[in-house]
Amino acid sequence: MNRFAVGIRSNVRTFLRTPLNVVLALVLPLVVIEGWGQAMAGLPPMPTIEAIPLDLGRVLGAIFGVAIIAGLMGLVQMISAREADRRLVQTGYSPRTLLATRLATLAGVTIVVAGVNFGVLWLTVEPEAPLLVFAFLALAGVVYAFLGALVGAVLPRLFEGSLVVVFLAMMDAFLSGDSPLAADVPDFVQYFPLYHPKELLQSAVFDGTFAAGDLAFVGGYVLVLLVLVTAVFGATMRTSGGWSA
Amino acid sequence: MEMTTAPTETVDGSKTLVRGNVLEKTYGSRLPLGRSTPVLTGADIEVRAGEIVGIVGENGSGKSTLMKILVGVLDHDAGTVERYGTVGWCPQEPLLYDRLTVSETFRLFGAGYGMSREEIDAAKQRLADELDFEQYLDYRVDQLSGGNRQKVNLSIALMHDPDVLMLDEPYTGFDWETYLRFWDMAQDLADDGTAVVMISHLIEERSRLDRVFEVRNGLVHDVTDDETESELRSDREGDDE
Repeated sequence: MNRFAVGIRSNVRTFLRTPLNVVLALVLPLVVIEGWGQAMAGLPPMPTIEAIPLDLGRVLGAIFGVAIIAGLMGLVQMISAREADRRLVQTGYSPRTLLATRLATLAGVTIVVAGVNFGVLWLTVEPEAPLLVFAFLALAGVVYAFLGALVGAVLPRLFEGSLVVVFLAMMDAFLSGDSPLAADVPDFVQYFPLYHPKELLQSAVFDGTFAAGDLAFVGGYVLVLLVLVTAVFGATMRTSGGWSA
Repeated sequence: MEMTTAPTETVDGSKTLVRGNVLEKTYGSRLPLGRSTPVLTGADIEVRAGEIVGIVGENGSGKSTLMKILVGVLDHDAGTVERYGTVGWCPQEPLLYDRLTVSETFRLFGAGYGMSREEIDAAKQRLADELDFEQYLDYRVDQLSGGNRQKVNLSIALMHDPDVLMLDEPYTGFDWETYLRFWDMAQDLADDGTAVVMISHLIEERSRLDRVFEVRNGLVHDVTDDETESELRSDREGDDE
């Protein structure tokens, strides 16, 4: 049997049979998008951005909603069955195949989550370039899904790992956003995981355009995370097994 | 160092399938002032085809560590492990995916072993019948009782008919009937040439074992000809006096 296909099916079943995952993926976007929007609604308009604070807040809420759900799912995928994974590797799965099934599942779930966020955003903000908005939300989710997976591979504890992902996502969305509360942020913020996805999303929502430089940066970010998570996961799953038949 | 080699013949003609030479393992702490615990300090062990070998020892003596090193899921600090053939490993705690059903669990691990769908289905039916968990094949692992979960845990180690079977207290939670059936299976496998290595705490099982190794003070001692662990212990205490 094809290990990759069986692995993917197993991961999807595991995801769907965890009700909290499904509820989070479906309910959180609405709460976060509207919550973030309302939180920013009372702020004065920003001089550099034409969008009203309510809509800007909703856009930031959407990207934060995708990031935090994808990040937590990436984390859980890595640590929920670490010991069973080791046994699976002993049976013959290569760590790379196992990781590929996990990341492919994560990417699929992230696209669904991005779709839900996009739907809420579509109803509340009416973006200029809907397809681009959906794509950039998915991209932001993939960045955080891989980041969550990396955190899970390095720090295989649910509570501590969740704190890292949640704190990072909140700080990232807040500092990367154009909130007047986070004005004059230092330059290094542009290296935060959500900075460029947010630039892409904001342009797509309000102008219907995007900057290729931002897209290239995010692509590079995903690649670097992929290399890191592969290296760390491979190291944690390394066994001295391997049998002669 | 890890090797896979052709099996070597012993004096009585049986093949050696697993050999650990001068194995050392210390569990260290990553923290600067953490404690490091040496567990194995030069353990030697050899397992031949067709025999049932018991590994005994006190709690914390290093039995599971030794088995994990022989299986290949734990790195050792020094020494060599040589293996021949396929290995089935049944860990002490069931290492399974809670939200998959029993059938899906077979499919996942069977794919790992490189088995075809037909081979997986056949193994599943055979083991479910032998260990009596047929009615639970569509149950999720997290909905099974401890004993049934352990049956699945054991079945995953057995499903690909391995040449070497490594079992870490495989009967925890079994009822008496299943326990007896398990021993019949182990004996049948050994008769067919499988090397069965088992961590055991029960003294009454010693009559079922061809050889018994005790892990003590970081080393492995062949205690096959000694009668019971308690006797061994009292002998040692007598020696110390």
